[in-house]
Amino acid sequence: MKLFLTGVSHKTAPVEVRECLAFPEESLPKALKDLQACPGVTEAVILSTCNRVEITITTEDGVDPQATIDTFLTDHKAISPDTLVAHVYRHEGREAIHHLFRVAASLDSMVVGEPQILGQLKVAYTAAKETGAVCGWMDSLLTRAFNVAKRVRSETGIGQMAVSVSYAAVELARKIFGSLNGRTIMIVGAGKMSELAARHLRRSGATHVFVTNRTYDRAIEMAKLFQGTPVEYSRFVSMLPEVDILIASSGATEYILRKEDMHRVIAARRNKPAFLIDIAVPRNIDPGVNDLDNVFLYDIDDLQEVVNANLRERMKEADRAEELVSEEVERMMARLKVVEVTPTIVGLQEQLEGIRAAEVDKVKRKYGPFTQQQEEALEAATRAIINKVAHGPISELRVQAGKPEGVHSIALIKRVFHLQD
Amino acid sequence: MAEMSVIWLRVAAALYSLGLLHSILMLVRRREHLFRVALGAFGLGAVFHFVSIVDEGILSNRCPIANTYETLSMCAFLVAILHLFVQWRYKMASLSAFIFPLVFVMALMATLGNPVGAWTNPVVRNAWLTVHIVLVLLGFAALVVTAVASLLYLFQERELKNKKPRKFYYRLPALGALDDLISKSMGVGFVLMTLAVIAASTWAFIEHKTAWISQPDIAISFFTWGTYLVLVFLRTTAGWRGRKAAIMTVTVLGFSAITWVAHSRLGAILLRQ
Repeated sequence: MKLFLTGVSHKTAPVEVRECLAFPEESLPKALKDLQACPGVTEAVILSTCNRVEITITTEDGVDPQATIDTFLTDHKAISPDTLVAHVYRHEGREAIHHLFRVAASLDSMVVGEPQILGQLKVAYTAAKETGAVCGWMDSLLTRAFNVAKRVRSETGIGQMAVSVSYAAVELARKIFGSLNGRTIMIVGAGKMSELAARHLRRSGATHVFVTNRTYDRAIEMAKLFQGTPVEYSRFVSMLPEVDILIASSGATEYILRKEDMHRVIAARRNKPAFLIDIAVPRNIDPGVNDLDNVFLYDIDDLQEVVNANLRERMKEADRAEELVSEEVERMMARLKVVEVTPTIVGLQEQLEGIRAAEVDKVKRKYGPFTQQQEEALEAATRAIINKVAHGPISELRVQAGKPEGVHSIALIKRVFHLQD
Repeated sequence: MAEMSVIWLRVAAALYSLGLLHSILMLVRRREHLFRVALGAFGLGAVFHFVSIVDEGILSNRCPIANTYETLSMCAFLVAILHLFVQWRYKMASLSAFIFPLVFVMALMATLGNPVGAWTNPVVRNAWLTVHIVLVLLGFAALVVTAVASLLYLFQERELKNKKPRKFYYRLPALGALDDLISKSMGVGFVLMTLAVIAASTWAFIEHKTAWISQPDIAISFFTWGTYLVLVFLRTTAGWRGRKAAIMTVTVLGFSAITWVAHSRLGAILLRQ
């Protein structure tokens, strides 16, 4: 049996090539059936996302899997063999397993650690399972890949740090307040990013949103989006003692919140922390506000700096994740080797059982007939003998299967017991 | 002090103790249901306190500020009256968290001016001292937790202010979680320390008769308890957080360590008996 994986990703192919090779979710069942119908293909999975298209197959030993997939792709997609060769990567056996585990663990993603890829791989697995394209060995391989991904996420911090500005704002709010449950937000001005940040904060537990704008009608309109309360622009500073998180993105050309205003606000809040997010350019909030105790002011560059630091931290965690993946590949390979010696183990058991049954027959013919109790005792005793004899070689076969130099020991065991290949 | 005067003062201290209970509930459970009852009892306690002072003044035919105990009683009474005025005029309920325990402890100390008989049973004496030591150790442990959490708060706050996340930012808990831990451990620690001070005062009073208050190690204990009370007050009323609160907590921890050293002979007393 051969395991073969080939495909294109954001690292090897531009979007023009990726879109040519993409398989929409609804077309997957037919494509999988066609692929499985190719001579020698036993199992198949197609993973198709916006950043990668990958086909993984298992074939019988005499088949050329690379040629099979190339033919399948050129038959099904409007792509020339030359273009395909220029952009695809191919992995076989151990390398294919390693690649699959890295993809599942989001180590090969455009944004390392993003969680979507695991869901997309599960969609591919479900489609293959439903069409019967995955029904044996590859089933356990993919299940293992999901477990590896889970292990990587739980044992490393690869997916913990925000890598977008709006999520970074939510993460900072969590670092300041702990839980966001019951927190109050105020949005000053309108803007896509402030809307997005407010939406994330709301989803994370913030209960109330105040919206203010120089144009009051616009404030009413935006407040409706969050089931919030519109506030007149002239009143927003006086409302600030009630507000935990302020998102400023108005088009004002001068500071709308100065240090002395915030000094009064924080005194009125009895020093409870306040988080100010200034994503306006030019800035809306006096930078000196950050000097006040218990006030945390972040402008757009500060948020970007947090995102950059998070990405650096993710890369450090990715190194740990790579180690985990390598460890899991070794385990998988050891299991595969055990699978490889399974016919030898079965052969050995059958041979010993044959010898036992023949010898028992001889004894019965020569000294029989026996009572039922005697026959049962004879069966039990002879079975116990062959089990004890077989235990040593079977254990050794399993141990040696996981070792690179184990081939010689396995061959020796086969010779000793006159087992056929 | 005259016998009747001390009895009136003990009644006043008993009524003030409701105020202490209110402060404890406010710190530990964040509940202020008892405030009205505590304030009423506090007012009534002030009336009995006044009777005690007048009684003492009439009997001794002088203003009762001739010794430490009388001065403490007078001082506690004046603080109580001033606090009642502030409550009537400005309704500053949060101030009570500071004043109630202060007036109670001062009044309690003032009641311990008249000598009583020696310990009737050495087992009771040792048990009393053991309770005091256990309370102090638990209070100290809570204070250490408060100080450590305050320092972590300081580090995390600095990380957030610098806006360039480093290792501390990722490893340390959120400010909100640390703040909650500080509030709870500080409240529990203060309650334990206050109970320890009450246990210690009564033990020392019986052990050393009226001379107990002039012992320097006892003065250190009261000073430390006073700094802890100020910390609790600043935290609950002014919402002190961050740098100032951390410095204050570490200071209180330092005074507590000095107090511990000053009382290191207590364990030996217990072992000797």
